Amino acid sequence: MALKALDIYKLLPKKNCKECGDPTCLTFAMKLAGGKTDVDLCPYMDDAAKAVLSATTRPPIRLVKLGIGERSFAVGEEFVLYRHEKTFYHPPGIMFKIADTSTPEEILAVTVRVRDESFTRVGTELRFNGIAIENTSGSPEHFARAIETIEKTADLPLVLMASDPLALSAALTFCGTYRPLIHAATPENYKEFCAIAKQHGCPLVIKGKSVIELAQLSKDCTTEGVQDLIMDLSPESFQEFIVRSTTIRQLAITREAPDLGYPVFLDASVMEMQDAAITLGISKYASVIISTPLPSATAQAALTLRQNIYTDPQKPIQMNPGLYRVGNPGKNAPVLMTVNFSLTFFTLQGYLESTRLPCFMLIVDTEGLSVLTAVAAGKLSEVLVRDSIKKFDVENEVSHRKLIIPGYASPLSGRIEEATGWKVMVGPRDAAEIGEFLHEEWKQ
Amino acid sequence: MRTVTFLPSYRKIEIARGSTILDAAQRAGLNMNVVCGGQGKCGKCIVYVQSGKTTFDGQKYGRFFTDDERSRGACLACETSIESDVQVFVPESTLIQEQKILIDGQETAIEFHPSVRKYYVELQPPSLSDPSPDLSRLLWGIQKNGGPTAEKMYVPLEVLREIPAILRHSEWKSTGTIALVPGGYRLVDLQENDTSKRLYGAAVDLGSTTIVVYLWDLVSGKVAGVASNYNRQISCGEDILARVNFARKNGLAKLQTLATESINAAITSASNTAGIDREDIYEVVVAGNTVMTHMLLGIDPAYMIAEPYVPVVRRALSVATGRIGIACNKNGGLFVFPAVSDFIGGDIIADILACGMSEKEEISLLIDIGTNFEVVLGNSEWMFSCAGAAGPALEGGEVLFGMRANPGAIEKITIEPGMLTPAFSTINGIKPRGICGSGLIDLLAELLSTCVIDRTGRINTGIENPRIRTTGHFPEYVVAWANETDIGKDIVITENDIKNLIMSKASVHAACLTLMKQAGITRREITTIYFAGAFGNYINKNNATIIGLIPEINIDQIINIGNGAVTGANIALINRRKRKTLDEIAYRIAYIELNAEASFMDEYTSSTFLPHTDLTLFPRVQKMLDTCRVAKR
Amino acid sequence: MAYDLHFDWSSSITEVMLGATKAEGGTRRLSYRIGGGTTLPFLETTQGSSAPLIAFEICDNPQYWSPIVRNYCGDLVNDCGEWAKTADSGYGSDMIRLYLTSTRQRNFSDIPSVGKTVESVLSNTSLPLIIEGSNEPKIDSEVFLKCGEAGQGERLLLGTAEAGRYRSIAAAAMAYNHSVIAQSPIDVNLAKQLNILLKEIGLSRDHIIIDPYTGSLGYGFEYSYSAMERIRFSALKGDTDLAMPIICSAVDTLTVKEIREAGPAIQDDIAVQWEFTTGLAAAIAGSEIICVRHPKTIPLLRKAFASLKSGKNTIGGQ
Repeated sequence: MALKALDIYKLLPKKNCKECGDPTCLTFAMKLAGGKTDVDLCPYMDDAAKAVLSATTRPPIRLVKLGIGERSFAVGEEFVLYRHEKTFYHPPGIMFKIADTSTPEEILAVTVRVRDESFTRVGTELRFNGIAIENTSGSPEHFARAIETIEKTADLPLVLMASDPLALSAALTFCGTYRPLIHAATPENYKEFCAIAKQHGCPLVIKGKSVIELAQLSKDCTTEGVQDLIMDLSPESFQEFIVRSTTIRQLAITREAPDLGYPVFLDASVMEMQDAAITLGISKYASVIISTPLPSATAQAALTLRQNIYTDPQKPIQMNPGLYRVGNPGKNAPVLMTVNFSLTFFTLQGYLESTRLPCFMLIVDTEGLSVLTAVAAGKLSEVLVRDSIKKFDVENEVSHRKLIIPGYASPLSGRIEEATGWKVMVGPRDAAEIGEFLHEEWKQ
Repeated sequence: MRTVTFLPSYRKIEIARGSTILDAAQRAGLNMNVVCGGQGKCGKCIVYVQSGKTTFDGQKYGRFFTDDERSRGACLACETSIESDVQVFVPESTLIQEQKILIDGQETAIEFHPSVRKYYVELQPPSLSDPSPDLSRLLWGIQKNGGPTAEKMYVPLEVLREIPAILRHSEWKSTGTIALVPGGYRLVDLQENDTSKRLYGAAVDLGSTTIVVYLWDLVSGKVAGVASNYNRQISCGEDILARVNFARKNGLAKLQTLATESINAAITSASNTAGIDREDIYEVVVAGNTVMTHMLLGIDPAYMIAEPYVPVVRRALSVATGRIGIACNKNGGLFVFPAVSDFIGGDIIADILACGMSEKEEISLLIDIGTNFEVVLGNSEWMFSCAGAAGPALEGGEVLFGMRANPGAIEKITIEPGMLTPAFSTINGIKPRGICGSGLIDLLAELLSTCVIDRTGRINTGIENPRIRTTGHFPEYVVAWANETDIGKDIVITENDIKNLIMSKASVHAACLTLMKQAGITRREITTIYFAGAFGNYINKNNATIIGLIPEINIDQIINIGNGAVTGANIALINRRKRKTLDEIAYRIAYIELNAEASFMDEYTSSTFLPHTDLTLFPRVQKMLDTCRVAKR
Repeated sequence: MAYDLHFDWSSSITEVMLGATKAEGGTRRLSYRIGGGTTLPFLETTQGSSAPLIAFEICDNPQYWSPIVRNYCGDLVNDCGEWAKTADSGYGSDMIRLYLTSTRQRNFSDIPSVGKTVESVLSNTSLPLIIEGSNEPKIDSEVFLKCGEAGQGERLLLGTAEAGRYRSIAAAAMAYNHSVIAQSPIDVNLAKQLNILLKEIGLSRDHIIIDPYTGSLGYGFEYSYSAMERIRFSALKGDTDLAMPIICSAVDTLTVKEIREAGPAIQDDIAVQWEFTTGLAAAIAGSEIICVRHPKTIPLLRKAFASLKSGKNTIGGQ
């Protein structure tokens, strides 16, 4: 459990020496509690206190990096079971799986797709993360050749899925220095696999048929000198996955079973209903998810869900303030003012689009607060509205002077009229009613 | 209208017949001790009617007086109504400084350790056999009279220049004024003859709306006079933000001058009333919010009002009064309280000093509510603070019939559960004109316990009662019918008003919870809640708890400290030991930025319920509401 | 060491009965008892715990309904009785959720028609029903009472109570022994507040289903997901005011930009995929009734739930 600022403060020397860069021990304690500074910055803390603090602030799940370069990504270093307790930090990498028996053209096509495809949502580019090549052929040469094809085309993180150490070694001559993920060490072969992973400095998937087997295997592999491990739970049903992955996450974050403190691997492609498996993996703690190349409908849904689950639930996503157009509004089109909380924005935008009445949305900067809370917190004020009208040159965009404000901002209507000189119309509280509102009230 | 003359100050005020002496005193700017809020319960507001006709039930309130007091015309100001022109003597013990210093019934007045002293010396004139210099002679004389040793004394050139003439003109009988300064002492003035009985100091609460000054006799350790007036900066903008913007456009000089003038006007008025020469005021202590004190000192506050909200200075400052134009002895010292941040200013440090929370082992929660609110949680070891906007609802703003605590404001209200008929009292007892903060809190609590509103504040329009209706956009409850009011229309509270009030109270409570969470404590560990600010004085503590404005603790452990800013300034003025701790107190307080606190919004939402979404935080209220609401249903 | 899951839950989800068979005083061919969960969703390994219910949403005036569904379902959308029958026997849903969209027309006053519509759906399907009444406070009372009356004995689930208007729907539910959907805008505290309000006017806990409002995938679902998790978590921790089953209805899903703007060739697929992903993730977060509008989503959810309830769940031997 995370310590409160005051608990930490009690462990500090209380000298207020400022050497940590904070003005007092209490503010240093607050930052430590929030994970915003480092225990080692305090020069006067005794070792016992330091040990207590580092133990509670060290990430309970190891950070493991896949690949190198621009597209490399890290997983693990998570702290909570529920995202609302803090947030989930490292979104799972979703990697497309190809067999080394595929034609070079097929391999090339998937590689190019993963390299180039992206969807932009709320200002962020969403991509798939890499490629998993399976040694279906059983031939080291085939395997190596497939990897050569990929490596010539793109610098993408790879998962090498093979049970034959020879195949792995052959593949690693092409990609060994690029931190591919090796899949998978088992109780039977772990010594050989560890040797290979160690030789190339690669992260390694360990695969066990039970949680207890995985714990043992992780212990064995670290003894062999491989620290960057990822755990394949080899579930046979969705329920099996959810139970095991929840167990591992819980025992890891409570630090009850440090041997389970590693990210989780899920090969969705071997499960019945791959789409559902991906959804499950994203929601329930998988850090590397393998799937066959997804059709675009599924691809967008999966990436969107991942973006959703891995946003900070306590921090609203913000839109850039500005004057947005819905359709192709003319000089007489209505102007609807609202806040820059993304959910508010998109909800309103959606309903406005379905009304088919071109209009302007004036988005003002309430630092991502919703209308109700922005009004309450004083972030939405007549001054802000007035300044935004000026800043975004609304007066030159339209020939009228009428502003529609959200229903929850009605307490401000008089003051906005006074400050802006615009006539204020109080719109509905629920964006769903905006169509009807415009239909009835917007007569011009 | 009747004229009331208050003695010994001879302050006069005109007021309607039938008003109480307390009303008159409040309008005259006399801060009387009304612990019970003027309900005739505490017996603290004793005054003596010296001439004129009044009505007072001496039998009913006899227990508060000795026979001797009664025979001399003693009565309770809050229960005495004025019939004719009267003269009223107000004993010093009735004025509020005593009450505010005597917190929680602990009869410990402030220890008296002023930092300015006067020493009268009669020196041997120099001679050929004793040719030591004037200064040595003077300092030695002071030392012999119990003053500080000569080596520790710093003498400014301005004073040094005056020494030879004054000593000789007074025939070597002079009075030196010595102030304690960091690292030693300073001879701030030399006067002819014995003026050692004339030494005064002023404690100032520099509020953005009102300025309050207490003049202290620094020889006897008693209050010599009190005055208050409006902050003249109001002409440059109602709120602080507007004034900072004014300064940006037109420069800071005007605001600095207005601040000084406002203080000077109060000092002058107090001095005149008390018959004191302003030149005998050697020390002025000012507590104010960070923007106000920056402006007073002529320091640019512009960087404080926008992110990242950085003040120029936090620490306590001492400057010569002459340098900023304060109307007192030009060599006097001005001491300005330190601040924690832009939002937690010297006024809050003064609150802390006034309630003494920084010296106690047990944990206290200090709440200062105005349009903005400040909350401090902690004890002698640690303190957390935060500030936020409560919105004006609790002060009567953003409420249709809300008003400030002026005459005609409904300040107390109860609702009879059956017919839902309200009973209320107004300030001055005249017909109602509106509802002030304390009345609104009562109203909310009463509407809740009579089931007129549900816990989200929505009016149950299904109740058939003429007082519950929907005329405009929102359902409303009629508090007073037009013919009962002074304004000729129905005074109502609407669902929208109630929502604004709930949002305000939720901000305050959420701030309390956020600090408690940061510290990892529950309400059970809070020993005392201190209410600071004018608002707290009249608030019904039980109702404040019912609506969930503050965490639920034992009612007896909720204490109003009234104007803590001026009390703190008083303490700092007359007790130099306490003053020395201020920087350390300010430094010890960690400031929490609520907007950066992810959990604040969550706490806020859970607080937008009466009293709170988590009813286990309010077990007593819950029990009470269960009883009365079940009965109602 | 034993690698066991252990939570110190102290409470369980309140059970709510939906639908009534003949033996129970109604006319449904089956009824459901939902709730009863004692841990996080799908961690329960005992046999007999049931999968989330899938409710198919229909309406009696398809004017505002998604064109995707109108195209797919064809003429059925103009006859909610037939539509319900097909949802039951053809699409294979567990419940029917009827939106009385006709009441949302301006100045609607034909209250008797509400009763007729409900009766027609009741006679065309023997599945338990969810009825979504008026959106207009002025006619709430009459509409809900009419629905309640028409479905007397059937243990309907009536929607939707909100903090601003809950009295008339609760009154109708209490008068005819139905349950109520309590909807609050994506916030665990607001959900709890509404439940307390309902409790205070006399609606018992086992007649409430929480709707924390489901934002569409990509448009607020991230908040809904956590609101659901928090509700379930608080309930298991002993907060009885939150210990009710959750319903998920991502009503705006079919109008999001990604689906609206998709080419006709893949529009159906995308629509189904978004409904499916949202519904499945919501079930994982704690929803026990998943509402959908595209018929093709139903079999997908059903299959995924089967795997989530496989019972083969051990953490892999001890």
